[in-house]
Amino acid sequence: MADPMHQFEIQQVLELPAVAGFDLSITNSALWMIIAAASVTLFFAAASAKAAVVPGRLQSVGEMLYELIHNLTDSIIGHEGKKYFPFVFTLFAFILAMNLLGMVPYFFTSTSQLAVTATLGLLVIAVVIAVGFARNGLGFFKLFVPSGVPFFVLPLVVVIEVISFLVRPVTLALRLFGNMVGGHVVLKVFGGFVVSLGALGALGIVGALVTLTGTVAITALEFMVAFLQAFVFAVLACVYLNDVVNLHSH
Amino acid sequence: MAQTTPELEPGGAIVETPPTTLSHDLHESTEAAEHGSSGLPQFEFGYWPGQIFWLLIVFAILYVILSKLFLPRVGGAIEARAAKIEGDLADARIARDEAERQSSEAAAELAQARARAQKTAADAKAAAKAEADTRNAAEEAKLHERLAAAEAGIQAGREKAMSNVRNLAAETAEAIVEKLSGQAPTRAEVDAAIARNAA
Repeated sequence: MADPMHQFEIQQVLELPAVAGFDLSITNSALWMIIAAASVTLFFAAASAKAAVVPGRLQSVGEMLYELIHNLTDSIIGHEGKKYFPFVFTLFAFILAMNLLGMVPYFFTSTSQLAVTATLGLLVIAVVIAVGFARNGLGFFKLFVPSGVPFFVLPLVVVIEVISFLVRPVTLALRLFGNMVGGHVVLKVFGGFVVSLGALGALGIVGALVTLTGTVAITALEFMVAFLQAFVFAVLACVYLNDVVNLHSH
Repeated sequence: MAQTTPELEPGGAIVETPPTTLSHDLHESTEAAEHGSSGLPQFEFGYWPGQIFWLLIVFAILYVILSKLFLPRVGGAIEARAAKIEGDLADARIARDEAERQSSEAAAELAQARARAQKTAADAKAAAKAEADTRNAAEEAKLHERLAAAEAGIQAGREKAMSNVRNLAAETAEAIVEKLSGQAPTRAEVDAAIARNAA
């Protein structure tokens, strides 16, 4: 059976000279990020080309995605969500494109790389911290001091709040990483079962058919996961941004 | 693809480029992992800086493209549609109000015209009735007059006839008395006798 982890191996595509001791060569992971971003760009170039009052199919899909994230920033962050909409939308579209491209056989899934999901998670938290300080100054630290807590448990609560804040990028990174890796490994293993069972004769073929049905079902599930994880990432980015944008009403 | 084996920091970990054979069993891969930094290809940290670097670059470019170019365009189309629908609705509302106004105006005009027509008809009827009444009255008066004249004529005729009868009776009585008594009575006596009998 093919090694289910082989699909995640990084390979150099274009070797570049190291910068300050770091290897910044374009790998298959980076290549598929670029392809994902190019796909998003091409899709929205096509979807917004006409900007017709009565939208075509492509424009409808583009507007659906737009409104999906727009409603998200609007409902979670509120009126000021407008400012953060492009950031959240870029996150969503980029992750969605990488996840969906990964569903195509022989394509690489950049979001199955912890380096990618961890960077995205840290990027969200970095933006949250930057927005927090820009809007509230040192009042940002009030994020860790909930109001209405009795003073004798306050130190404990502050410690918990700080830890929960620090855990956020980790959970963001691991959730997306785990979902993508898990799904692809399961698909690979089931696909491998189909082949090896099919080689075992009559009974094996029956088993292979059952496994094949399972693989098809899991493929459908993985498409849903690909969308859902991008959406969840966007929702959590909104929730974390809301914490610092509307700090006063905390 | 490049098959070079890049020297990578930190700790001098060497990332093994995958073998050219596509399938190697689990045992081989765990062995390979022991040589690398960890079991999963994702934990080959030598490839992390490149991925992080390109991710940030690509994300930044995509952010600029989306936020400056495509998102305003998509949002603009949505807003334009909302504005158009709003405008069309407002236009329709104005048109409806105008139509309602005109229809009520027309109804009022119709009612006015009907009232005028009814008044004209009533006037004409009244005038015709008055004329007919006066004509009837005149005819009636004329008829009365003729009737009265006729009655008077008849009365005169009857009186004349009656007086003729009386004269005839007187002459007859005179003649009868003369024949019987041989003496002719005076006319005054005869008249007195007739008047006595007639009474």
